[in-house]
Amino acid sequence: MSTGTLYDKVWDLHTVRTLPTGQTQLFVGLHLIHEVTSPQAFGMLRERDLQVAFPDRTYATADHIIPTAELARPFGDRQAETMMQALETNTQSHDITFFDPDSGAQGIVHVVGPEQGLTQPGMTIVCGDSHTSTHGAFGAIGFGIGTSQIRDVLATQCIAMNKQQVRRIEVTGALGEGVYAKDIILKIIAQLGVEGGIGYVYEYGGPAIEALEMDGRMSICNMSIEGGARAGYVNPDATTFDYLKGRKYAPSGAAWDRALDYWRSIRSDADATYDDVVTIDGSAIEPMVTWGITPGQGLGISERVPAPDTLPPSKQAVARQALDHMDLEPGQSMQGVPIDVAFLGSCTNARISDLREAARLLQQTEGTVADGVRALVVPGSQGVKQQAEDEGLDAIFRRAGFEWRGAGCSMCLGMNEDQLQGRELCASSSNRNFIGRQGSKDGRTVLMSPAMVVAAAIHGTITDVRTLL
Amino acid sequence: MEKTIRGKVFVVGDNIDTDQIIPAEFLSYNPADPDERNYFGMHAMSGLPSDQSGLPDGGVAFTPEGGFTSEFAVIVAGRNFGCGSSREHAPLAIAEAGCHAVVAESYARICYRNSINGGYLWPLEATDRIIDKIRTGDEVALDVDEAELRDLTTGETFSLKPLGDAADIIEAGGVLDYARRAGMLAD
Repeated sequence: MSTGTLYDKVWDLHTVRTLPTGQTQLFVGLHLIHEVTSPQAFGMLRERDLQVAFPDRTYATADHIIPTAELARPFGDRQAETMMQALETNTQSHDITFFDPDSGAQGIVHVVGPEQGLTQPGMTIVCGDSHTSTHGAFGAIGFGIGTSQIRDVLATQCIAMNKQQVRRIEVTGALGEGVYAKDIILKIIAQLGVEGGIGYVYEYGGPAIEALEMDGRMSICNMSIEGGARAGYVNPDATTFDYLKGRKYAPSGAAWDRALDYWRSIRSDADATYDDVVTIDGSAIEPMVTWGITPGQGLGISERVPAPDTLPPSKQAVARQALDHMDLEPGQSMQGVPIDVAFLGSCTNARISDLREAARLLQQTEGTVADGVRALVVPGSQGVKQQAEDEGLDAIFRRAGFEWRGAGCSMCLGMNEDQLQGRELCASSSNRNFIGRQGSKDGRTVLMSPAMVVAAAIHGTITDVRTLL
Repeated sequence: MEKTIRGKVFVVGDNIDTDQIIPAEFLSYNPADPDERNYFGMHAMSGLPSDQSGLPDGGVAFTPEGGFTSEFAVIVAGRNFGCGSSREHAPLAIAEAGCHAVVAESYARICYRNSINGGYLWPLEATDRIIDKIRTGDEVALDVDEAELRDLTTGETFSLKPLGDAADIIEAGGVLDYARRAGMLAD
């Protein structure tokens, strides 16, 4: 087992006791909730006449079902309206802070938590959403839970868990131009596989990770779950502390100094031991795209779509299924594949630095969205949206032909009106290319960085963004 | 929950994500409302592409069109069953359809834990790749205590990994009832 890692330290500091099942009862520092996975948990509390143990450690927002075009109430979708009302009632009756659309702070739960300064190093953070791994970017242990566990956390602020192993993923070197955090994580998942992380927590480190700003670190930790790892983290450093300083829920004054001492103390020790170590050469990573139906089916943009019979036996069946669904041929390049939709959004890549880089590319190239392509930008939060508008980014997107939307999960999973139609192919900055994920069972998703989404939108085909730089 | 199950088997492949088990469009049904809860059974496994729905031939609906329950008692799956979204509606939907056991080569962790914590179904792990050796529609007998799946149609027997302590949680009906039974929670 690992010793001296951030994971070991945070785990030990939050351990209440060992349960008869052998699991650990772990105290939860921060519980984030949203409208889709929480109503039933509150229902179960009511059934058993239980209260929320720590309302001040529980924060809510609405993201999955929220319309991004028209926010007038009641929502056009009756079931969305019902879920929204349930969240309003539940947060009011249990005295839980709700970042609702009128607060100016609503957005995707994994964008809002960090932005508000709620997400801090050394915390345990849970949410009924698999992408809770995002919060690991701050040196927190964040992981997704199911609805019965939401109930447990609401009632007790604790969770029963088995300790995982720790795999250190060292990314060396410096990223090339046109290569981003998203490319690093797509490369990692392509290399280690979508089930490679089962039973592990990933610790990301090395020069290429340390050089990233917080937004990039969040993109990487966000997709840990796509590699099978329930959590992933980066050790906190000056970049982390600079990001947090002055945010609404971050400590201040003497509490800030105490927090800094704690945050520094939970970093992995220099002589920490890991259950596994993987090294990846960051300078060799190209812009990545997926060619298939799992996030592990990714390749560098200059590579070719593989022939299924050249793959390990365990990957052949899903590769055949992928080629069939995506309508691709072995040996084909992904460059030049026509797109129908360009989606810039999601908890992976809808933060301010993602939008800035996308807008910078549009300005630099004076590009506009290609004929026949529907392109939309969905900011990760109202805060991101406001910031972008203050910087004039919305005008750049609009001029180029992008729709400029409100904050939410939107077309990442198509629970609101933003969905693919029929066989449409989407160049997407989101995290999952599962069949049906974006709202159409026949729809096709190609995952990539926001910059690559812009390149695809301009050309109408999948394009190596480096040719635009 | 019954620890011996007999009935028909439904076979699926690797990396069955929770969007395939219950597509996001159906998450707006409220599981706490008994009438709406039925719809999870109706749409369980409905996100599978037709050719992957009931291997080896495909084209088999897990729940018949317009119905609320499935004729299948056991799902047999490949690796990484339940990957993707943390939605607990996934094991809930399978259970609502009347199916209370999955035998997979491996599970994504969140789905595995959800299956146990909510007491929805037995998430059993095979010791071998069995999706190529068993056909959708075969009659099977599952014994949780013996950790054994028998294909009564072909006569072949597959050994499974013992569930261990997780079995006690499922038997209690979920982790809260387990905790209460173990005296860890006040009544």
